[in-house]
Amino acid sequence: MEIAPLTPVVYNFKKIGPVPSATDMVDIVLTRTQRKTPTVIHPGYKISRIRSFYMRKVKFTQQTIAERLGNIVENFPRLNDIHPFYADLMNILYDRDHYKLALGQINTAKGLIDSLSRDYIRLLKYGDSLYRCKQLKRAALGRMCTIIKRQKSAFAYLEEVRKHLSRLPALDPHTRTLLCTGYPNVGKSSFMNKVTRANVDVQPYAFTTKSLFVGHMDHRYLRWQVIDTPGILDHPLEQRNTIEMQAITALAHLQCAVMYFVDASEQCGYTVEQQVSLFKSIKPLFANKQLIVVINKIDVQPWETLEKTKKSLITEMCEAANCTMMCMSNVTEQGVMDVKTAACDKLLQARVEKRVVGKKVDEVMNRLQVFHPAPRDDEERTAFIPESVAQARKEGRVGSADHKVKKTTAGYGVTKNDGDVDMDVRKTERDIMWEMGGPGVYSMDYRKNYLLEKDEEKFDAIPEIMDGKNIADFVDPEIDLKLAALEAEEDQRMAENQAKNMGEEPESDLDSDEEEAFSKIRTKKATSREESRINRKQNTPVMPRNVRGRKKDKHDVGLLDSVEGHLDGLGVESSGVKSNVRGRKRERRERNDDSVAEEMDLDTTGMSKGALKKMKKEKKEAPKRENSLARSHSRPREPSQVGLRDEEAKKVATKKEMTAKRAWSGLSGEGDQRKTVHLVKWMNTGKKRNGTHNKR
Amino acid sequence: MATRCQYESSNEIGVFSALTNSYALCAIGGSENFYSIFEQELAEHIPVIHTSISGVRMVGNMTVGNRRGLLVPSTTTDQELQHLRNSLPDGVVIQRVEERLSALGNCVACNDHVALIHTDLDRETEDIISDVLGVEVFRQTVAGNALVGSYCKFTNQGGVVHPRTTVEDIEELSSLTCVPLVAGTVNRGSDVLGGGMVVNDWAAFVGMDTTSTEISVVESIFKLKGEEGGDIVKDMRASLIDQLS
Repeated sequence: MEIAPLTPVVYNFKKIGPVPSATDMVDIVLTRTQRKTPTVIHPGYKISRIRSFYMRKVKFTQQTIAERLGNIVENFPRLNDIHPFYADLMNILYDRDHYKLALGQINTAKGLIDSLSRDYIRLLKYGDSLYRCKQLKRAALGRMCTIIKRQKSAFAYLEEVRKHLSRLPALDPHTRTLLCTGYPNVGKSSFMNKVTRANVDVQPYAFTTKSLFVGHMDHRYLRWQVIDTPGILDHPLEQRNTIEMQAITALAHLQCAVMYFVDASEQCGYTVEQQVSLFKSIKPLFANKQLIVVINKIDVQPWETLEKTKKSLITEMCEAANCTMMCMSNVTEQGVMDVKTAACDKLLQARVEKRVVGKKVDEVMNRLQVFHPAPRDDEERTAFIPESVAQARKEGRVGSADHKVKKTTAGYGVTKNDGDVDMDVRKTERDIMWEMGGPGVYSMDYRKNYLLEKDEEKFDAIPEIMDGKNIADFVDPEIDLKLAALEAEEDQRMAENQAKNMGEEPESDLDSDEEEAFSKIRTKKATSREESRINRKQNTPVMPRNVRGRKKDKHDVGLLDSVEGHLDGLGVESSGVKSNVRGRKRERRERNDDSVAEEMDLDTTGMSKGALKKMKKEKKEAPKRENSLARSHSRPREPSQVGLRDEEAKKVATKKEMTAKRAWSGLSGEGDQRKTVHLVKWMNTGKKRNGTHNKR
Repeated sequence: MATRCQYESSNEIGVFSALTNSYALCAIGGSENFYSIFEQELAEHIPVIHTSISGVRMVGNMTVGNRRGLLVPSTTTDQELQHLRNSLPDGVVIQRVEERLSALGNCVACNDHVALIHTDLDRETEDIISDVLGVEVFRQTVAGNALVGSYCKFTNQGGVVHPRTTVEDIEELSSLTCVPLVAGTVNRGSDVLGGGMVVNDWAAFVGMDTTSTEISVVESIFKLKGEEGGDIVKDMRASLIDQLS
């Protein structure tokens, strides 16, 4: 018995690359050589270069071929390495010898081409002209192609094998497997269709199933593989055809539970005797397997009414093989599930028994047993299941196996089951999402599920930041209580105040006229205080007096015209005010003129009035002008003004400045842009005579 | 019943959702498909809440909670906290935890009575866990992994631990948690149980890759079908042996 590998090998023959035909192969190789190697060569090149050029071509072609053929040999499964079931199956389907021969031929061709290229490369080393090298290359490539072309049939055969292999069912030889066998047309494929979704073709004639079919089903939390085999006839092994041999191979090599189907109604065209004799002849194949004899088609021929002789034949057969017998009918589905369950349980039990003996089961012991706690103390730690859940459980809405969540079809395409949809189910967010435009369009308002005291407050907008402060930092859970306390205190204080003021209402001892005057005085005072506040000179721009009058400023007394009125309003004697002011003004101006003339202390006689005025103005503004010029013009100043001690220091400074300037003048620096002619044309062109040309 | 689901084609649904006996959290995704799976099963009984934690979708990794409370990392924003507070039932306390190991869901595994926590968690965090969630706290590792929240999952009725936990360790954990435990996997052999499923006392959600054997182990150990659910020791022993060894 073979031992299952530690990591189960998955047999997937689909990844073998296609095998090109011989002519295609030649084309592929030569094109590749042409594309991937240099193509330009001249007879004038050095002979070593020419040789290496052609050697490269030959070598490259050989490498390409070796790679291609190597891939083919590598990718096809080696019959000695794969599971014996697959090895045998391939022997039956493709003929082991033929297969091995084809791969062997490819391998030999690869070797031949290797040695051939080696020979020609050696010859190329002695090639003495481009022509000879080229001829050698041609010969080498030609012979390589001939070798490939000779393998035409091997290529064709392997391509066929590859196509067929890739279509074999993905059958795992190591997993839990049920296998149906028996005469043709006894109902194996029908059973398969009943327990799996494989959808095998079922027809009322023999050999409908011509190869192995695999289906899968779930049973006891596990995945099971069901294999439907072609029917087998009762004749010696040597006479069996390819179709039958596939069934025999599966029976011989797979660790599985076997269901031997017997058609008691004999509708299949074979008598019960024949079926029993077939059982006996293939009995050796059932060794070490879980076997169930299935009496099929009991809707047509119930077991009870079967002829005695046939009955006894079958029971004897079962007893001899020490196996169980079950009845079923694919048409009425009677007993189908029982057969399936019995077969699965038998196989599972056997597999578990085998495992338990081994060491590996100890590693998973912690997953096979539940560890119940020893009570630590008297405290009771109960589950917490809400009342509504308990109620729903009672009604079978939660936790029962047959409970199915009702769903709406929002967001799905129309299916044929749409009629079953129960529309009075709770509308989920998903349904709403689809109604409102689907994902990415709809966004749920999470506030709608808030559990608040007052439902209407759910959607209230609450600012996050207020007056530059995070609201959350100031949240006080007892704010309502505190506010209420504060308000109560306020009310109380106000009440107290009122009570205190109740007796002493302030009474005035003035009569109504006095009262009125008093209030007028107060208003006037307040107004003038306000005006003076507004007119206060501090920190406000001072307005020149000659401008001031032009403005109709209500707070401004203005100039002379308004003075009288103002004074009158104040009840002050205003006559003569105007003339007084005018007189003073004029007087002042005259006095000013006089003083200027005195100060000038110049001989102003004989000067025109205009010139005099100009001179006066210049004289007056001279210092101002001096300052202004000093600021705006850049001009030589006194040594003291440029920050030097005296004339001597200034001389030294000037000298130093000059020297510093001279050090740089005329020399090239890094800031210079330079463009020199490297190859001076007039020095290098023209006819050359003997002698050096730089001596022109 | 355990429900298979996926979050935007990721099987690690425990990362993107959290489930307790009194509320469920769901990550905000591109569509409402994931949320609606939870909604369909749970919304009748407990609130199912869309949320993010500090703007991240891994709500299951970052938070830990049970029926009494919910702990969120310190990075949770004020708005998220406010949203959670508004959405959670009044009986559930929500608390921010200042903890260096901010993926609380990975570091803490708890039911309504007992919590197993990462060995390096702060003392303050331990106190907060025991106060807010009302549980006894034990510092433990599961099969040598300090991330107890990721590698084990238990409710008030049962629990699953990392498949490499030794028999002695399971016994110890079982006596600490006071619930029956078994070693198991989800998502076709993934040992990250906290990432692969969310479960409470009456419902479970597992990743889409979870096999039927795994689902039946989950349903059986968490007693999701009431008391009459399948028995791991009797019914499933053969299947488990055949599949595992």
